[in-house]
Amino acid sequence: MQHLTLDDAATLLLQLEASDTADLTKLRDALTTLAFENLVPLPAQPFVARAARVLGTIIAGTTADANAAFTDVSEAIEEAMRVTDASAAPIMPAPAASAPAASVAAAAVAAAATPTPVAPVRSAQHDVGSDQLPEDADRDLLPDFITESHECVANSEAALLNLEENPSDEEAVNTVFRAFHTVKGTSAFLGLSRIAAFAHEAESLLSRVRDKEIAYAQGCADLSLRSVDMLSALLASVVTALEVDGRIPVPVGYHELLDALASYDPALHAHGVVLTERGESEQRNSASPDIAPAGNSAPASTNNRANTAANNAGAAPSSAAANAARQARGEPSTDATIRVRTDRLDRLIDMVGELVISQSMIAGDESLATGKAHELLRKVTHSGKIVRELQDLSMSMRMVPLRATFQKLARVVRDTAVKAGKQVQFVTEGEDVEIDRTLVDILGDPLVHMVRNAVDHGVEGPADRAKAGKSNAGTVRLSAYHASGNVVVELIDDGRGLYREKLVSKAIEKGLIESDKSMSDSDVFSLIFAPGFSTADKITDISGRGVGMDVVRRNLESIRGRIDITSAPGNGTTFAIRLPLTLAVTDGMLVRVGQERFIVPLTHIHMSFRPEPAMLSTVVGHGEVVLLRGELMPIVRLHRLFDVPNAVESPLEGLLMIVGDGKRRKALLVDELLGQQQVVAKTLGAALGKVPGVSGGAILGDGRVGLILDVNETVALAQHDGTVPLKWDRDRQRDVAA
Amino acid sequence: MSTQPDSASAPATSSRAGKYLTFFLSGEEYGLEILKVSEIIGLQPITRVPRMPDFVRGVINLRGKVIPITDLRKKFHMEANGTEDTCIIVVQMKGVQTGIVVDRVSEVVAIAEADIEDAPSFGAGIHTEFLLGIGKAAGRVKLLLDIDKVLVTSELEALAAAQSHAA
Repeated sequence: MQHLTLDDAATLLLQLEASDTADLTKLRDALTTLAFENLVPLPAQPFVARAARVLGTIIAGTTADANAAFTDVSEAIEEAMRVTDASAAPIMPAPAASAPAASVAAAAVAAAATPTPVAPVRSAQHDVGSDQLPEDADRDLLPDFITESHECVANSEAALLNLEENPSDEEAVNTVFRAFHTVKGTSAFLGLSRIAAFAHEAESLLSRVRDKEIAYAQGCADLSLRSVDMLSALLASVVTALEVDGRIPVPVGYHELLDALASYDPALHAHGVVLTERGESEQRNSASPDIAPAGNSAPASTNNRANTAANNAGAAPSSAAANAARQARGEPSTDATIRVRTDRLDRLIDMVGELVISQSMIAGDESLATGKAHELLRKVTHSGKIVRELQDLSMSMRMVPLRATFQKLARVVRDTAVKAGKQVQFVTEGEDVEIDRTLVDILGDPLVHMVRNAVDHGVEGPADRAKAGKSNAGTVRLSAYHASGNVVVELIDDGRGLYREKLVSKAIEKGLIESDKSMSDSDVFSLIFAPGFSTADKITDISGRGVGMDVVRRNLESIRGRIDITSAPGNGTTFAIRLPLTLAVTDGMLVRVGQERFIVPLTHIHMSFRPEPAMLSTVVGHGEVVLLRGELMPIVRLHRLFDVPNAVESPLEGLLMIVGDGKRRKALLVDELLGQQQVVAKTLGAALGKVPGVSGGAILGDGRVGLILDVNETVALAQHDGTVPLKWDRDRQRDVAA
Repeated sequence: MSTQPDSASAPATSSRAGKYLTFFLSGEEYGLEILKVSEIIGLQPITRVPRMPDFVRGVINLRGKVIPITDLRKKFHMEANGTEDTCIIVVQMKGVQTGIVVDRVSEVVAIAEADIEDAPSFGAGIHTEFLLGIGKAAGRVKLLLDIDKVLVTSELEALAAAQSHAA
């Protein structure tokens, strides 16, 4: 047997038991070889590596549930096989990144009694020691990734050193773990599978430390620090690839370190993993002394790359060619970025907002309006232009395109579709639409949920689709566009759609509603956002547990987003998410109550109207309600809630504003509407703490502070105060009616 | 007597010596560590914040920043009585700006540690825990406020009040 194939591994695994330590070890070593010697395509490597690692825990007897671990291994191998099949790339022969590396691995495998001849012949045609930057790599995102990752590296280095002083510092372990985790996630998404695979292994080691599976001993510390160095080197390789020709050289010592990470055994390595000089291979298994010569022979090999690396710090570019290229260039990369603390940025944006307001105060000054100060007016107008440009610029500083978010979802669609055995085509539009950075962060999770749902629930299996006369592959379309000052993100699937009856009967069964009378289609569809609601017939690990959609809605509401569903049975479902462009500016309605003014966010207002006497009634003497188009809504008197003097008492003289949604709609009584206004939301200051019913303040046109109403909280407050008898003056109503 | 803080000889308590901004509240003269004061502004329109205890007058716009305003008269249970000289002292505590309403700002004086006595206890009902001490300068008594404590207690009380109100 030349090499163990994945199929062989899967077959072998079925025949083995946890007690067959020797055979399992063989299997593990074979898998390790597969994973890290490029015998399987890159996408499959992480899975194979995971299989090897879990096998390691079975062998070491550190796993709690051997059966679960076996399942885990076989799943990982299956996944790897699937990815291998899916990958169009031909399977490369054993790499010759550095000849010593290959021979060490060979020796190690040989030591484990798996005869695996390796031909460490350096091929001139394909230098398999290098990866290519993915064809579709987003060169705009890569520099950000590198900046971010360097930060992670710096953080984890500091944390690791700290950890050495104080091995029980859990926070330090977590910091390093998170750093690797972040790098893993981002690099996987950018298609840098080698970095992802490496970060995964490093993360795994740390997760074992974190879970107290192994102690943070000397060996572990060595490996972790080396991993950090390696990560730096890998990042440097990517920089090289970006600058030169798209080829990512593999840093020297990469395979050895991966091996060491995968096979770290606290029992054997607690007092240190023997690693030879930088850039060379380390003794991977102290039980097999015969690999030592191979390791030691590395420095002797006149490998240009190894020598370069040996002369440089760990983070230095590992390829002589890249070094030369960099020196020749002698200039920093063009798209330089500076990281700025967000609070400073926010303050800047704030100040610019204030500048705009004060500028408009100057421009509106009476002395300018007389027409006498012609020169001054010209100057003021000129500065006004500058201020507006400044405002545009400051707003754009927080904006990022949705591209990254969408690309991440492509992966989710693919994985979910494979798991559910469906064919799904994922189409995205409007990736260049820009949106506030904080919104992107919060939008990500809900979209993942929704996209999964669309694939799992929405799109039918091939058989059902054929029956319905649709093409085999379903389509999930994600598009973003601007509409009336908002960003709309639409998720459209051409699946089975939502069935009103099914939703209604489920909701009645769950006690969410009593009947669907007077419920519009969109009301019924909104039921899927109720906690614990799921129409999936069976629960899968993808969806069906009924958690999710309520979280989706809550997340979206936290960023003042609104979600609408349209659907027709058999014709798919459309989710439209409306988001503000930025959280820095709130679209609000300025309302007056007594002598006080409040800002109600527009997203919460459905409509406002002056009621007719016939629409008003009371319930049990005090609860006031208004009947609008067949819907009964409690009236909330803002002036009573906030203790405002001299406000309009009768709803007939004021205005009712319908706020809230679904079953929780309320009619807010205000004196009058003063107009729509864009305001910059600010906190009321830490010294005040949380003010009930108020989400913040904003500077109004006259320089005074207006309070921004937290509608949901206000409604909740009203519920609380409901015990206080409301004295609605019925006599007055009768008078007005008469 | 020296007005210079003698930090070398009495490191433990020397923190009280230094310059104080003094102001009047209902005829009494109070002092505020000058380092905590960021500016003094005239009284301006204050937006009331609902469901807050009465000593929280509301919030104002300080050049684009919204800062809360505490009325020290109400805080110390004195009668409310605005005058022409009423103004707002903006103090900076732990990076947070807060305004306090006082009757009139007086002067900046340097007070040596030797001239500061601990606040005496007056028994139940009179809180002195937010006094750093009592300073004597130019034959007058100045009540030196530990503004962090004044405002922290106000915040806690405000929160408690708001919660009991909501419950």
